[in-house]
Amino acid sequence: MSLANRIALASLQVRAVCVEANEFPRLSAEFGVRGVPHTVVNRSGAFVGALPERDFVAAVLEGAGLSVEDSPAPNGPSTELNG
Amino acid sequence: MALIPEQVRQQLKDRFDTALTGPVHLTLYTRPGSSRLILPAGLGCATCQDARQMAELLADAAPEKVTLGVVDVSRDSDRTRADQVDEVPTIAIGADTEAGRIRFQGLPTGTEFPALIDAIERVSRAEHGLSAASLAELARLDQPTEVMVFATPT
Repeated sequence: MSLANRIALASLQVRAVCVEANEFPRLSAEFGVRGVPHTVVNRSGAFVGALPERDFVAAVLEGAGLSVEDSPAPNGPSTELNG
Repeated sequence: MALIPEQVRQQLKDRFDTALTGPVHLTLYTRPGSSRLILPAGLGCATCQDARQMAELLADAAPEKVTLGVVDVSRDSDRTRADQVDEVPTIAIGADTEAGRIRFQGLPTGTEFPALIDAIERVSRAEHGLSAASLAELARLDQPTEVMVFATPT
């Protein structure tokens, strides 16, 4: 969560929301949360697992509809981009 | 219910005493008087009371730096809508009384509690700690962007 918070602190355009998944099961189901951390950008694109800063920022930009030179690195078996 | 033991309260005071430099405003969006039971149609709020206790504890730990505002979403739906808050309890963290852009939806216990403390300290120090390359990339964002992170307390 810390990276999302830091990005929100750095950019006036970003709002970071940490959702306690067990407390909001309907919301978790809506976004297909099966593992954590599960990060959803603009309620569409998502990735699962922790990413290094560079890749996290790239994923946020991609989720916001901006082109990025490199896609987030598939650093772990649970990392994926949807939507 | 003593959500946070007295020993931890004192540790928090000691930590905030040195870690906080600038003001931090917490906004708790809640539904006072809600049942602790999980009810249909979102009428209950199982953790609203605990969230209030936690938010008050955080403000009490550094009253000269941390302020707390409470929004009753049942009575102030305009403010809740304007601040784009969908669920309760939500704790928003910002440097002033505007709705903070760092939010914790649900009760931030377990591993999320250190993240909450970290967020308060970073806001106070205006310290994001991101690289220059990341800042350059983030400067390309020209529309409001929501980053929602689902986590669990353990």
